[in-house]
Order: sequence, then C-alpha cells, then structure tokens
Amino acid sequence: MTAELNEAVAAAQAGDEEAFRSLYRGLQPALLRYLTSLVGADAEDVASETWLQISRDLPSFTGGEFRAWAVTIARNRAMDHLRRQRRRPVVPVPVQALNDLAADADTADRAGEAIGTESALALIRTLPPAEAEAVMLRAVVGLDAETAGRVLGRRAGAVRTAAHRGLRRLAAMLERAAEGAPQNAPGAVGEGDRGAVRQRPRTDRPAPHAPEAEPAEG
Amino acid sequence: MNSPGPAGPADRAESDRRLDAARAAPPAGGDPLARLLAAAAAPATGDELAGEERALAAFRAARAAPAVTERAPAPRPRRRLRIAAALSGLAATAVAGVAFAAVRLDHGPEPVVPPTSTTAGTGPTGTGPSRPAPSGPAGEASGAAASPTPPSPTPPSSAGPPPGGHPAPPPVDGKLAGQCRAYLAKPEGQRAKALTKPGFADLVAAAGGADRVESYCRGTAPSAAAPTPPEPKSKKSSADEDRRPGPDDEDDD
Repeated sequence: MTAELNEAVAAAQAGDEEAFRSLYRGLQPALLRYLTSLVGADAEDVASETWLQISRDLPSFTGGEFRAWAVTIARNRAMDHLRRQRRRPVVPVPVQALNDLAADADTADRAGEAIGTESALALIRTLPPAEAEAVMLRAVVGLDAETAGRVLGRRAGAVRTAAHRGLRRLAAMLERAAEGAPQNAPGAVGEGDRGAVRQRPRTDRPAPHAPEAEPAEG
Repeated sequence: MNSPGPAGPADRAESDRRLDAARAAPPAGGDPLARLLAAAAAPATGDELAGEERALAAFRAARAAPAVTERAPAPRPRRRLRIAAALSGLAATAVAGVAFAAVRLDHGPEPVVPPTSTTAGTGPTGTGPSRPAPSGPAGEASGAAASPTPPSPTPPSSAGPPPGGHPAPPPVDGKLAGQCRAYLAKPEGQRAKALTKPGFADLVAAAGGADRVESYCRGTAPSAAAPTPPEPKSKKSSADEDRRPGPDDEDDD
C-alpha cells in the first residue's frame, strides 16, 4: 500500500491527474473526519483549503510519508481557522449515537453504515481535544504513534497515552450507555435520532455519563 | 471478546492494537469499542468525496495548465508576454539576418505583422505543457515571416517585437485583473466568502463560476504561450510558474 501510495504521489507530482484523484479519494474521507473533529461544521471549507495547498505544494514534497505531510497541512489550516474563529466548536453529546453504538452485537451490522460512522465520529469528538486528536490520527487517518507525534509536535509516548485515555473514556461511555443510563441523563433530549445534549466546550469532562470511570487518568 | 476491564483497553499496548485494527477488516460483532473504531474508520460515504472536482481544479490550476481554454482570450501575465516577445525577437534575428533592426524595438504601436500575429494567437490555445506544441516550428516560421516585414512597412523600427507582444489579445481587461489581484490577495479562508460579494460578481461571471475563479486568476498563463519554446523549454517555464505564485500570495506555510 505504501509503495502504491508513493507511486501515486510521484505520478501526481509529474502532473498525472488521475493519480491526484486517487490520492484525493484515498485521503479525503480521513482528512475530512479528522478536520471535523477539529473545526466541526467548517471542516469542508478547511478541507478545500487543504487540497488547494496540497496541489500547490505537491511539487515541493520531497518524500517521506505523504499522509502525514497532507495531514500536517490540514492541521495547520485548521489551526488558522480556529485562530480566526477564536473558539472551538461546541460539541453536543450525541445521545442517539451513543445508544446506537452501545447496542448489543445483534445490531453490529449497523456499524458499517454511514450513520454508524457519523455516530462514532460524534462520540470521538466529545473527548478532550488532545485525546480526540490522538484517536483520530491513529485510528481514522491510520498514522502510527511516531508519525502522529510528528504531526502533533509531541512525543510518540504522549500520543499513545492520549489515545489510550481516549479509548478508555469511549469504552466507559459505551458501557454506561449499554446499561441504559443515557436516556435518563440529566437534560437529555433523548428522542429523535439526532437528539443531542448541549455541552460546555470540550475542555471539560467528556460526557456527563462517563466522568468517574477513568482509572488511567493521571 | 471480553473487554479487558471495566472500561476498555487495559494498557497502552492494548490500545495500540485496537487503534491499529480500526482500519483493518470490520470486526464481526466485536465489542462496542471495536465497532466504534471500525465505524469511525469505515470507507468513504458518498458526500465525503463531494469536493473531488474542486480539488482537481485546484490541482490543474497549480500545474499551470490552462484550465480555462474554453474562454477565448486567455489572459496572460505580462512577464510572460515579454518573454514571448524576446524569444520571437531572437528567432527573427537568428533566422533572418536583416532583422537586426528589429532587436532594438521595445514597443510596437501598431500590429503590422499579420502572419506572426496569427501564430502568436494560436499559441495560447494550447492545452498544456504535456502537449507537444506546434509552436516550435511555428516560432521559426514566425521569425522567417517577420524578417521580410521590416523593410516594407513604415518605420523599420516598429516591426520586430510586436509579433510576440502586442498583437495578442489584451490579458484580462483591467478591471478583472484588478479583481483577480484582490481575490488572490485574500487569505484562502476568506476567498470563497469574498466571491459572494457584488464586487466580485463580474469576476465570477468571467471565470464561469465561483469555484473556477481560483484557476481563472491563477492558471491564466498558458505555458504554451510563448510561440517559440520547444518541449524542454516549456517544461521549464511551467516549473517556474509553479514557483512564481509563491511570493504573490503570502500564504504558504
């Protein structure tokens, strides 16, 4: 896969449009999901800016990992965007998403559908930013911890820790949801499939349902 | 699969394994966390790729291919015209000994040279650096054609450079060029928004849509523009072009 990717990158650098298209198709979904975790609804705009810059800077890309290079561009664009906005988007806790995902394995086939993807991403977005970002880069973009660390300007160990905490937090949320807690969560808007609780900005605890289940938190 | 603890993966290594597995095959009814990660990393949904054509347009523009060939008068930056003028002037002197008079001409008030102006006119319609431009031979032809002219028409001093330079259609009309500059001077994030303002309406109309303004303004220099350059040359000039937008656009980090 890496060899294939490198070939496509080289071809695109030589001006091959179809190669560029395949790069786009291979990377855009992950990029967009990652950007959504950073800037919310503006992710599409930031993604376009990212591709604009990728197109422009591609000739100067000198090798290394293309995905990491592109994701770094995306991240810089997103940070610029946040600086202009001066805030992070407010993240609603997606109650229905939580219920969907926490449901028993007999509904597992739903997980592959689009709604499953959206629900999953919505849940990850409720994590504290550093954890959400680590999980996104590792699981969705598919970078290893070292590479993700380079993108984030952190050590690989820090990325591992953040991702691990994120996963535990997610697991705890799901567990509580499976126990039937979320429907009774204070202030829940329970019904309707996009039902969501407004939550304070996400530097706080991730979700009202999972505050104490964090043995790993240090 | 049993989950290892009350709340997910027991340690970082376990988390690493799970994160790595997210993009692998979807779990057959694994635990909720595995499903969540697999769903987050699932293949693209249709609308996630909605920006594909826009990205490709940006790619084309960045390659300096004249993505705007449908538009008849392909606007070109002046620098390029000057190069073209210089090159065709050179060709003229090289091919025809007579043409030394032409070398010192820097401006040609009237387009005196019909044959060359036609070759210059066909130059910009080339589709890209990849096309083996017919311009190589045409350039020489234009040189040859230009050579007889100096003696005949009015002041001998007005014949040389005009072929490459002036008879070509005016780049963009001044207003559009100004709007392009204003547009490109904006930070990328504000461009799309700016195009919704009435001040840019003409530009959007001329480009054929808001999403094409970028390539219209940026990719306006057909690299086949110069009548003379043979293949390697045109490649080089398009490489130059890739670099050139840099300083103008204040936004490369």
